[in-house]
Amino acid sequence: MAAIESFDNIYLDLSREHGKCRFAENGLGWKPAGGGDTFTLDASNIGGAQWSRAAKGYEVKILQRNTGVIQLDGFQQEDYERLSKIFKNWYSANLENKEHSLRGWNWGKAEFGKAELTFNVQNRPAFEIPYSEISNTNLAGRNEIAVEFSVADGGKPNGQNGATPGKGRKAAAGRDQLTEMRFYIPGTTTRKEAEGGEA
Amino acid sequence: DKNGVEVKKFKRFESYKRDNQFPPKVRDMGIVIDQKNATIVLPVMGRPVPFHINTIKNASKSDEGDWSFLRINFLSPGQGVGRKDEQPFEDASAHFVRSLTFRSMDGDRYADIANQISNLKREAVKKEQEKKDMED
Repeated sequence: MAAIESFDNIYLDLSREHGKCRFAENGLGWKPAGGGDTFTLDASNIGGAQWSRAAKGYEVKILQRNTGVIQLDGFQQEDYERLSKIFKNWYSANLENKEHSLRGWNWGKAEFGKAELTFNVQNRPAFEIPYSEISNTNLAGRNEIAVEFSVADGGKPNGQNGATPGKGRKAAAGRDQLTEMRFYIPGTTTRKEAEGGEA
Repeated sequence: DKNGVEVKKFKRFESYKRDNQFPPKVRDMGIVIDQKNATIVLPVMGRPVPFHINTIKNASKSDEGDWSFLRINFLSPGQGVGRKDEQPFEDASAHFVRSLTFRSMDGDRYADIANQISNLKREAVKKEQEKKDMED
């Protein structure tokens, strides 16, 4: 393996601008193509990594040892082997292949991980919400939980300087900004199994 | 049936089988209506998430200052509307996504999306009704 492995057209944490992502033994860096500050992550802070399909292409999600997740989108499917080696050899981490549910169902199980909430459909994640993006939660009704997201004011979507949008800005990164999500969580009382019907 | 309680079989439906079936437009991280697959693809934290039209109750647009909001409501228990057998529930202990709200400065676009979702829903309901009529 070369001393540095480099990938172009990578988006960091839903950045508007793509950049160059470079991996080395001591960590990784991302620099916006149009210039600007370089984001770096030390190898010692890499706690795990996941590979899955995202919007621009394939995503490497890095679970940081201290807190939070880093999302790098825009990889090609064939980059997997190369990246898998990088994570194994340099960071002693397994690049876990996470296939997401594509069924289109709105029911499953909301599970609380270390850094994010995962909504699983048939034991596959449908989507994840990093806790850092949540600005408020409240009980909106019986069995109903409302989760609000930070979308900065000022009219313009965030992340346009190309740098990492940072805490509480991923929801506002796209043309459609997610402001709220509501969940129905049933009570713990037992129900007749027949009620839901069988497949 | 005799008890007046009909336990309908849950009809399986599926938006996509493989991730290469997503419309190319999901790249832009915006809401995408995929007519062909009767699916709305919604961007959640950088990931395109499909929701089949059968899970959707309705969509509505509202305005607040410069912003327009699009709220998409999904079918879920305890809403007091619709018959139980029309709801695609497989598991009574499941958690549900009940609604997602997006905002944008482009109100016309949200009016158009809400309209498209309503039309798609109407078509799906009509198709389902025709199927039922055939069975009767």
